[in-house]
Amino acid sequence: MKPIIDSTSTEEPVVIMTRIFDVPREVVWEALTTPEHVAQWFGGHGFSSPVCEMDLRPGGAWRHVMRAPDGSEFPVNSVFVEVVAPQRLVWKSQRRVSATETAEVTHTTTLEDLGGKTRWKLVARFADYADRDTSVKMGFAQMVGQGVERLGDFLEKRRSSP
Amino acid sequence: MNAERLTSTLFALADPTRRAILARLSTGEATVGELAEPHEMTLAAVSKHLKVLEGAGLISRGREAQWRPCRLEAAPLRDVSEWLENYRQFWGASMDKLDEYLKTMQKKRRK
Repeated sequence: MKPIIDSTSTEEPVVIMTRIFDVPREVVWEALTTPEHVAQWFGGHGFSSPVCEMDLRPGGAWRHVMRAPDGSEFPVNSVFVEVVAPQRLVWKSQRRVSATETAEVTHTTTLEDLGGKTRWKLVARFADYADRDTSVKMGFAQMVGQGVERLGDFLEKRRSSP
Repeated sequence: MNAERLTSTLFALADPTRRAILARLSTGEATVGELAEPHEMTLAAVSKHLKVLEGAGLISRGREAQWRPCRLEAAPLRDVSEWLENYRQFWGASMDKLDEYLKTMQKKRRK
């Protein structure tokens, strides 16, 4: 199943992905929160995880090193914010955006029990807008709906057409 | 692109009027007066939006004092778009593999 990108979110700049897994919620939770399992899937095919250590509690660290198919390694350093087994996991990551720069991403994962199946919803918020005022947040809601990408694509086409 | 740059681009794009201004500028340069026209806004209000867009590097403005035409700078939009796309691909690929992995986990549990 392809991830569903929800562009109708009403809060802040986010990427939302959901996926239904054909196993009970406890199994998904275990796969998400146990280092030896996480190392098996994190990054997808071709990627491996030479380091994965999790201190699974609010304020605990998740130290991860990802190895790309070409052998290059990327550290992904995170801190858990909320840990509510088997339904909710929130963590903040420093994510590399270029060779020298990182951005902060807050991930909120919720697992919904569908009776033998599980819906995983991942909400990613980019940077921390907690200090900004409400009107700014409302503005972000508009942006997410209409889409940075759609506008970007539109402008891109404009540029490339004579 | 650093986090601050990403933030300022997202902020600039947050407002529907500013997105409309960018869409208008994608058809060519325009003056503040021309940009204000479809929005029933004062020139001062439009100028505020233009300052935000300029601060985020999404537009540049000419040097002539009176005329100062605005033009679109598309690079920050491309950066945001690419960054979000990479992010989605990462989790899409992770979820694909997790889906397979969960099935093997489930089989082992049943044994």
